Amino acid sequence: MLENSIFGMLALFLVGGSVAMISFKETIYSAFSFLVAMLALAGMFALLGNSFLFLAQIMVSVGAVVVLTLMVILTINAQDENHPQEPYKFRWILFTTVLVTPIAVLIYKALVTLHLHFEKTKEGYGSLKAMGETLFASWVLPFEAISVLLLAAMVGAIAIGRKESYFKKQEYFDNYDKKKEDAS
Amino acid sequence: MVAEQFFILSTLLFSIGLIGVVSRRNLFVVYLSIELMLSSVNLLLVTFSRLHNNMDAAVIALLLIAVIAAEAALFLAMIMQLYRSKRSLDSDSFANLFQGKGKI
Repeated sequence: MLENSIFGMLALFLVGGSVAMISFKETIYSAFSFLVAMLALAGMFALLGNSFLFLAQIMVSVGAVVVLTLMVILTINAQDENHPQEPYKFRWILFTTVLVTPIAVLIYKALVTLHLHFEKTKEGYGSLKAMGETLFASWVLPFEAISVLLLAAMVGAIAIGRKESYFKKQEYFDNYDKKKEDAS
Repeated sequence: MVAEQFFILSTLLFSIGLIGVVSRRNLFVVYLSIELMLSSVNLLLVTFSRLHNNMDAAVIALLLIAVIAAEAALFLAMIMQLYRSKRSLDSDSFANLFQGKGKI
């Protein structure tokens, strides 16, 4: 009973936050709604008994991703004329909802054919110890691959985000054909 | 508490994310919707982990959280660069990107 009411509240925040995220016009309100949804999702992980994932979700999704998003939104400081004009936004959302509904039903139908009832968990399920043992026993290679991926993402983000050299190179490519013609 | 509830919730989140990607034109909302779709998959993985009393799926969810963080960094750098080049957050104004000229 208690579990069900907690689930209901978290689901309300999760769905409400996501719906608010796609319907707000102001970008910063969307980001805050996403924050609410991610916190509720962390609560869901806790409800499912994964205490470490709960912490990881709060640290990474809320502490890093949303904060980084808010910082970018505040840094670029887009004015009203820089935002897209979407006069028929809600009509578009309604139309897309009609289109997506069959896909959602398909996913749901595929999922409910599976085994449905939660059994009592084994001793130590979801604890940090169980997580670490599984991670470093059978998932070492993906773990190392993730390290390389994060390094590549860091280098890529710096390379994409740089200002001057990018535009210099762009100019060089723009004038490349002309230079070749001049040389010949 | 039945697993069906979590399946419904995960499906709903994925659909909301898909709706956001398709129907909105603000770059930030598109990015946050993609994040939401990834997170819904995460919720599904954890539900399966709990259903089968097996930590493997939870470990995949943990690795997926790292992938989400990497994707966020790249996407935000890309948004900064796009905004700098056109002073716009409208995804329609970058329609010429697909012509393969590499010119924004």
